[in-house]
Amino acid sequence: MKLYRPATVLVGLLFVLLGGVTRLAGPDHVYGEDQNLKVVHGTIGEALPYAGSGSTMKVIRIKFAKSIVSADAGDDDKPFDTNGVFVAVEWDAIRGVKDPDSFTPTLITDGGSVYQKVSDPSESRIDFPDAGFASTGTVVFEANPADLKGLTLRLKPTMFFNVYNSEIRVDLGVPTEAIAQQMVDGAVDQYVVNDDVTRVAS
Amino acid sequence: MESLDEVIDAMIADRVIHRHRRIWLLLIALIVAAALVILATGGWKEKKGRTVPTLDAPATVTAGRFEFNFTKAEIVRKPKTDYSKAETTLRVYFTAKNIDTEEQKSESVSGRLLKFVPGGGKDLIESNGGDCHGGLNWELVYGLPPEECSTKFDVDPDFTADVVEIGVLQEHYEGDNGSLGLNEKPYWHNEDAAAVVRLKPTVVVDDGKNR
Repeated sequence: MKLYRPATVLVGLLFVLLGGVTRLAGPDHVYGEDQNLKVVHGTIGEALPYAGSGSTMKVIRIKFAKSIVSADAGDDDKPFDTNGVFVAVEWDAIRGVKDPDSFTPTLITDGGSVYQKVSDPSESRIDFPDAGFASTGTVVFEANPADLKGLTLRLKPTMFFNVYNSEIRVDLGVPTEAIAQQMVDGAVDQYVVNDDVTRVAS
Repeated sequence: MESLDEVIDAMIADRVIHRHRRIWLLLIALIVAAALVILATGGWKEKKGRTVPTLDAPATVTAGRFEFNFTKAEIVRKPKTDYSKAETTLRVYFTAKNIDTEEQKSESVSGRLLKFVPGGGKDLIESNGGDCHGGLNWELVYGLPPEECSTKFDVDPDFTADVVEIGVLQEHYEGDNGSLGLNEKPYWHNEDAAAVVRLKPTVVVDDGKNR
């Protein structure tokens, strides 16, 4: 009897490959802090390249607010309040030719907190427009006023496989607790979240 | 041309195969019958009943990333109109606090963490997620005080109950089995039951007028 028929060998090879694929897609690499991510650091007002796609992302300014309201809110829509503080990040994105990877925006701090963007209103978003266009918009995060030191906007590309990629980290200019406190004290009562505006990239 | 030897061999083989045929058939029939009996009596697994505590509202439950405090429940009836059928939903009110000390990450209460237990062997009904702060799936921030939340379960239009039971699931911060080639770095997953909370619902009629 022939032990190593081509089909047997192929099935064996398939298992070996599958093992490799599961290693590549390990949660560590897909969700976690990666060694395979080049970090592009920057500050407010600096256009940062995103993942070699020819697209750039720039934070124009940040605003602290005690409540947020959608720009097209009806009479019944109440503003969103918070027990913490809202951080509105106004951004400007210029899209390159290559389609950039989708990404998850978070705010990270020295204290280890990870803030996600608010689920409502829907105007709060950050994304690249279509090729040849640029857009400006706002993304809002709810944050804990006690942990704002070292506030940084992190744009981490969504990956299904372990590939070499880059992420953007924008220092939002909160170097000390005292400055954080000042910004929280100076938070505006209400911030209107406008829809993003697209224009032709010049 | 067959030789006599071959014919005799075939006859002997025939005899051997048929010698214990009745016993074999009987054995197979017995196994099938046993399997049917086990299936009919509710499976091989021993029924243990509920292994998590049952609490009466108001109750505080610490489950994975969240600390819940269940307050009240409402059966909301929407009467039939010219344009829509009668609908009933079960709405449960609670406060939720993010206690994720591991990742300190904002997180919304996902629908699969709260389940309505209809009882009587019926399937559990998943909630539609934590509706906190006026926004569905609002991200709860670690370190902030508890938020008022509610969640909704779709039930039959003629649903009535004196007491409803809500199952609370907890996630665990753990890694996967490294010897299976999976990653051992911990993350939040593997939800299992943490507690069951009993609430006495009040009936509310939502005819769209008090909006």
